[in-house]
Amino acid sequence: MNDLINDLYQEIILDHGREPRNFGECEPYNKSADGHNPLCGDNLKLTFLLNDQNIIEDIKFTGEGCAISLASASLMTEKLKGKKIEVAQEIFKDFTNLVSGSDEDLKVLNEEDSLYALKGVGGFPMRVKCATMAWHAFNQALKD
Amino acid sequence: MDDSKTLNLNVRKDFPILSKKILEKKDLIYFDTAASAQKPNTVIDETNDFYKNHYSNVSRGVHTLSVESTFRYEDARKKVQKFLNARSENEIIFTKSATEGINLVAQTFYEKFMQKGDEVILSLIEHHSNLIPWFFLRDKYGVVLKFANIQPSGEIDIDHFNSLFTNKTKIVSLTHLSNVFGTELNEKAISICKDKNVPILLDGCQSAAHLKIDVQKLGCDFFVFSGHKTYGPAGIGVLYGTENLLSEMPPYQGGGGMIGDVNLEGASYAELPAKYEAGTPPLVEAHGLGIAIDYMNKIGLDNIIEHENEITKYAFNKLNEIDFIEIHGGDNKRNSIISFNIRNVHSHEVSSFLDVEGIAIRAGHHCCQPLMKHLGVNSTARLSFGVYNSLEEVDKFVIALHKCKEFFNK
Ligand SMILES: Cc1ncc(COP(=O)(O)O)c(C=O)c1O
Repeated sequence: MNDLINDLYQEIILDHGREPRNFGECEPYNKSADGHNPLCGDNLKLTFLLNDQNIIEDIKFTGEGCAISLASASLMTEKLKGKKIEVAQEIFKDFTNLVSGSDEDLKVLNEEDSLYALKGVGGFPMRVKCATMAWHAFNQALKD
Repeated sequence: MDDSKTLNLNVRKDFPILSKKILEKKDLIYFDTAASAQKPNTVIDETNDFYKNHYSNVSRGVHTLSVESTFRYEDARKKVQKFLNARSENEIIFTKSATEGINLVAQTFYEKFMQKGDEVILSLIEHHSNLIPWFFLRDKYGVVLKFANIQPSGEIDIDHFNSLFTNKTKIVSLTHLSNVFGTELNEKAISICKDKNVPILLDGCQSAAHLKIDVQKLGCDFFVFSGHKTYGPAGIGVLYGTENLLSEMPPYQGGGGMIGDVNLEGASYAELPAKYEAGTPPLVEAHGLGIAIDYMNKIGLDNIIEHENEITKYAFNKLNEIDFIEIHGGDNKRNSIISFNIRNVHSHEVSSFLDVEGIAIRAGHHCCQPLMKHLGVNSTARLSFGVYNSLEEVDKFVIALHKCKEFFNK
């Protein structure tokens, strides 16, 4: 099988694509945003609960999409749960650099992170939007 | 190939891009002509030649280059007129795209013939290009939009369509060939409009290079298409409109080239077709479109259509045999387009997987989100064929599909 395809679809991606974790809606939540990929119609709704110490206490998503967008959302919720918002924002920046093939050094993410599995998206520029949809929704929710 | 049949037409060598290797080793199989067609050498060479040897602005000067440019631009119009069998060159307006043509008609037709509360009939299978320009009329002026249902076959439900007409219906706008199903519009839809004396616009984006177009026989009042889907350059489109309607409707944009006489109090407008062509037009692209039409004529549109029909039928039968494939639309005839899904595999996965095999297909909503919602899917994979495709390519594609299914269900 082709290397590019194996890089793109690592086992963990296929697994999270098939069975996304934290799928649903937080109850209660105080932050939410919709993610939408106008190129293909994929969409999701992200909800999370930010407590008074600015920690993400709970985070979930629902929606429909391709394996890449579902896996990315699923891995994101796993990674961000329990994180302080400032740390989450650093992760957001790192992740965007990681999947867009930017040379910038990663600050908080490293090869041990499950999110690193999405690096293969860089070989498919048209799929970067799939991988970042949930992350942009997260960023949007913080702004609203 | 199991039935060892090859087709008569073999023009792959006319298209230089088709010798490109994908990821440095895979032969390119281009199954995305419905999104945009590849360009033959003649179109590429002739547009180069225009810039190198003849280029200037059109209809603006008397010097030699201006004459040569104007001649080419107007010659392209003649070729388009013949291609569509329009009555006169005055009925051929060059636009930048089909999209611009629809916007032009929506705005100027409204201005002349419609008011608040008047109705437009569209359908569920329309491309966003044939929806949003009309949404603008709804949002800005209170025009009412009605949408004809579709049948499971992918065709418009003619009875429902017929039932939508009232005495407020002012115009109908429908796709001539669905970019999702590949099904042709039932001619009855046009005759219903004729009977009711309501003008009809046909979105011919997908039909222009894949069906023989005769606007007089069709009886449509407007017909639009884009050059880039008919083996010509991007940036050029065509609006055909009957001289009656085009002369009554007001100009669309204002600018150079579309005026008669101007003073500071006002202006008179040029005659057709210049009236609708404000500003410097995409003249080289228009010429390129003319050359693309020459190319299709040289091969013969009948031959092209027969070739594509063979491939479409072959691919349909192959896909239909595969149990993990769901084809959208019924068993009725398709022209050069087939939409499908691999069960439980998102179309993005299919498209990325095929890409590394050198096969280009489209995945997504095809700019038909209302239709996708109706079908209950959020995206489909779409195969679309052109004059350069072959049965062997379909065979390779089918093998790759099996590999794809295996990969994602491992
Ligand atoms: C049926 C249909 N209508 C309209 C369009 C819009 O064409 P263009 O973007 O060239 O204006 C397309 C192309 O995608 C189409 O397939």
